[in-house]
Amino acid sequence: MADILFTQGPDELKRAPLAPLHRRLEEVSQPAPSTIRLAERPFTTQIGLRAVPDTAAHRSLAETLGVGLPDRVGEVTGDAADVAVLWLGPDEFLVVAPPNRSELVPLLQEALGAEPGQVVDLSANRTIIELGGSSARDVLDKGVPADLHPRVFPTGTAVTTTLGPAAVLLWRAAEENWWILPRVSFAEYTAQWLLDAVREHRLAAPDGVSDAVPDAVADPAPASAPDSREEAPWPATTA
Amino acid sequence: MMLIPCPHCGPRNETEFAYGGQAHVSHPEDPHALDDAAWARYLFYRENPKGLFAERWVHSAGCRRWFNAVRNTVTYEVQSVEPIGPRPPGGRPAESTTSEGGHA
Amino acid sequence: MAVPPPEHPDFLWRNPEPKSSYDVVIVGGGGHGLTTAYYLAAHHGITNVAVVERGWLAGGNMARNTAIIRSNYLWDESAAIYEQSLKLWEQLPEELDYDFLFSQRGVLNLAHTLGDVRESRRRVEANRLNGVDAEWLSPEEVQDVCPIINTGDDIRYPIMGATYQPRAGIAKHDHVAWALARRCDELGVDLIQNCEVTGFLKDGNRVVGVETTQGRIHAGKVGLAAAGHSSQVAEMAGVRLPIQSHPLQALVSELFEPVHPTVVMSNHVHVYVSQAHKGELVLGAGIDQYVGYGQRGGFHVIEDQMAAAVELFPMFGRAHVLRTWGGVVDTTLDASPIISKTPVDQLYVNCGWGTGGFKGTPASGMTFAHTIAHDEPHPLNVPFSLERFETGFLIDEHGAAGVAH
Ligand SMILES: Cc1cc2nc3c(=O)[nH]c(=O)nc-3n(C[C@H](O)[C@H](O)[C@H](O)COP(=O)(O)OP(=O)(O)OC[C@H]3O[C@@H](n4cnc5c(N)ncnc54)[C@H](O)[C@@H]3O)c2cc1C
Ligand SMILES: [Zn+2]
Repeated sequence: MADILFTQGPDELKRAPLAPLHRRLEEVSQPAPSTIRLAERPFTTQIGLRAVPDTAAHRSLAETLGVGLPDRVGEVTGDAADVAVLWLGPDEFLVVAPPNRSELVPLLQEALGAEPGQVVDLSANRTIIELGGSSARDVLDKGVPADLHPRVFPTGTAVTTTLGPAAVLLWRAAEENWWILPRVSFAEYTAQWLLDAVREHRLAAPDGVSDAVPDAVADPAPASAPDSREEAPWPATTA
Repeated sequence: MMLIPCPHCGPRNETEFAYGGQAHVSHPEDPHALDDAAWARYLFYRENPKGLFAERWVHSAGCRRWFNAVRNTVTYEVQSVEPIGPRPPGGRPAESTTSEGGHA
Repeated sequence: MAVPPPEHPDFLWRNPEPKSSYDVVIVGGGGHGLTTAYYLAAHHGITNVAVVERGWLAGGNMARNTAIIRSNYLWDESAAIYEQSLKLWEQLPEELDYDFLFSQRGVLNLAHTLGDVRESRRRVEANRLNGVDAEWLSPEEVQDVCPIINTGDDIRYPIMGATYQPRAGIAKHDHVAWALARRCDELGVDLIQNCEVTGFLKDGNRVVGVETTQGRIHAGKVGLAAAGHSSQVAEMAGVRLPIQSHPLQALVSELFEPVHPTVVMSNHVHVYVSQAHKGELVLGAGIDQYVGYGQRGGFHVIEDQMAAAVELFPMFGRAHVLRTWGGVVDTTLDASPIISKTPVDQLYVNCGWGTGGFKGTPASGMTFAHTIAHDEPHPLNVPFSLERFETGFLIDEHGAAGVAH
């Protein structure tokens, strides 16, 4: 059960996938309230489920979670602040819960029992980048092919799609708060893409924010990986 | 850029999909029973119609499910889609229903 | 701009009515149909020949390709036929008495990964063994050949070296077609446009003519050179071909002063670029993934190749796309052509050149003419028969064919 050991490891050894970029994410979000907010929400508990609807496996997983399983594309059950379940495919779902809820894994495995299906701890697979502020949708529209108009993408919708060339899960967790879940190996790329994409919105901010933009934002060149790692050797956020 | 209606996710941009070629080509039940010509047909020969074509797509950057589509290879319009399955999708043109060497 | 195009001749070819019968009818008036007719007449003395073309002459892929010519293919069989083709290119301007701007400015095939490097060096060695001029260049040497290319390590896939074939180059494809058409016409070949083949006349297992939109034409032998439509045409004769037809796109920029001295191709970042004589940058990449006869593809394919081009050539960042277009290319599973007899007597097929048949135009016609004239393949096209899909003797050129060209 190596996967469980991993997410249950000592907190002080955990390293957020985007730790080297936390300072820059914070800088573009200043001063609050800003038209743009970027932050990482690392270490959430994520559990992959597979179960065919209308089977015993599906019913007992839904029951154990207590929030049901979504039954169509875009649908999310539960609560973004607590346990939520995203639809990945007709028989595939992703549980997203606060950090250190990995006790859910054995619970769900037990619920599945010997029925056909799957319960896998995927907590290390994706991180969450939170994009908020009044310009958030404009930023996403630059790189997401899905229609993000509230008519088709109301609060509480989540889909698998692409941001630029990277595959992501995109979740509108609140009216002006979008959660972007890239795989960890694409996380830095996705964050750099966003840092670049938010620039024009930062600079165009009506309240004179642009004057206060720190150097890091004015600099168009993405920080090269080794340098930025030195900047922030240790995660600013731990669970 | 085609807008492809995934049977599970609805219309999405072509960039989210990968192509799988002709649909309904089954693996021969007994490959040893085939002679070289029949094996070549199974491996290398596919329908190449100008017009309606029953083909496979996978929604690789979405639900990751394979499905069948009938698409017009001239206008690129997708006429119908359905989840993967043994049955040729509706509206499939008669002349392209023969899958090569596949059926035992 | 750079080179003023040569004067256009006053007269190219007649527009004859089809006769009721010919010794040989060639289906498809692209480059391959034209060279086939030319070599039938010039090498085999068969001049009672018609080339029947559905649209206008050389309006298919012959008018749409990016005109890259090279012979640095991996396997012996391919090196032999493509090198023969290059040798024919070297003599055709004089032979046809037409300056079609064949320019041997060399081609660089870039390597961006260790795998690329190994594969490229292997290909250089194989080329040399086959008498094909090929060199392996370091990034510095690449810079010497093409100063505008970014050989720095500040890009996602830095250039780790390249193969170089100095005798490779480009030609002006429409002029090539006109040069061939003029000479075919002079030799007595009938070039018949707006004449679509709609069926075949058969006597038992023997083809004896074609049905066309301009009536029935009897023929001693029929050669198919219909490129993207090969499987459509062959099917009318009851012959199935292992071909999938795909859209392949290309584009040009506005005209610039000459800045790009050679041809650069990259399989890995997937783009190729040359600069035509008039001055436009000519760019292309891979096929659109699906079967398609629409002579068009998706814009994202163009967007991707532009991203790759701008990374390799930062100075192109301000160039504009002037025109994009697409053709229908006939691909095989081993990325090699089919020049072959068929199960139907006196019916021959030349297809499967896919994304890279312009360079093959002369040797394709030469070997196909031989096959038709003698009812036996030329030694160079023996390996490129339809039977190879049954014997398993495939000629896998995906590495050398790589980015479409
Ligand atoms: C965008 C693009 C870029 C390319 N770049 C390169 C390159 O850089 N280098 C290279 O080597 N190759 C390149 N190619 C490939 C090359 O163009 C082709 O392999 C080659 O042109 C095919 O031979 P062809 O000239 O005879 O084909 P075509 O010119 O397509 O000739 C076939 C003809 O058959 C006709 N026809 C079809 N059906 C019928 C019918 N029923 N009756 C009568 N006539 C019919 C068509 O109208 C057509 O004119 C490229 C292709 C494309 C599309
Ligand atoms: Zn889908």
